[in-house]
Amino acid sequence: MAKLDPLIHVPARLQVLTTLSAVSEAEFATLRDALEVSDSVLSKHISTLADAGYVRSRKGVRAGRRTTWIGLTSTGRKALREHVAVLRRLIDMVD
Amino acid sequence: MVTADGVPHLPNWKVAGILSVMESDPWLQDPGDPRSELAVADEARQRLADGLRLPTGMHSVLAAAVAIQVTAAAYGIAAQTTAGLAVALAGVAVLMAVAALLLYRFRWINGVRVDGLSSQIVLGTGGTSTLIYLGGFGAATWAAFESRWWLVAAAAVAAGIGYAFGTLRWWHAYRHDPASHAGGVSPRVLATLALLACLGFVALLIAG
Repeated sequence: MAKLDPLIHVPARLQVLTTLSAVSEAEFATLRDALEVSDSVLSKHISTLADAGYVRSRKGVRAGRRTTWIGLTSTGRKALREHVAVLRRLIDMVD
Repeated sequence: MVTADGVPHLPNWKVAGILSVMESDPWLQDPGDPRSELAVADEARQRLADGLRLPTGMHSVLAAAVAIQVTAAAYGIAAQTTAGLAVALAGVAVLMAVAALLLYRFRWINGVRVDGLSSQIVLGTGGTSTLIYLGGFGAATWAAFESRWWLVAAAAVAAGIGYAFGTLRWWHAYRHDPASHAGGVSPRVLATLALLACLGFVALLIAG
């Protein structure tokens, strides 16, 4: 039986990965606005998720400004899917 | 404040304030109720999807580009000359250029890339749009061989509208369930396919 992923079990990181699952890649500022958090908080969580191989980031340009683009990796997508499945099972058990 | 064992502690009023913020801010919370965790995460995803906007007039522009491509291809196939193949190639180039512009605009407006949208615009991967496009393309080609140019135009317009309609349907499905519809062919694969298509046409031109 799959277990909860300790890295995604932090609600903030679950939000980051879930939001990224809606797109192929998002600009850092777009993600920050959708999650309604500060740059530093988001940056810290992205860094942790990137170290685990769950997200990838690259530098790009938008409207003449240098920006960072972030996307889910296939490992991150799989980890999110499994974590959410375990959470749903927990909810079913409680119900 | 320092306790009897010499360890400094925050006063109670400060601790209460910090705990209050931690309780109300999900970004500082420990994992808790799975249901609320999922709900908050889903809300954030939906907020992002709801905020996305398509470039102005995207469906009309896409329909027109597809109509031009179908007309050019039908003419080129029916003409069976080097000039005809050049016209067909120009039609593909127009569609690719419009698709690239629309995708660039979408990314510029929203700050996101959605490969599912790229697949819809460039490849028309939706079942409905593919069927209508192929039907229109076939009818236009037949009409071109028969020199019924008004029918070529009508079939090309129908193919364009069908193609754009497929994209519109996909967009509604995406807004309803973003995670299931976000995936698609990556820009690298699309660029490779476009390059292969162009090389194929060039090879046909040379052979012709």
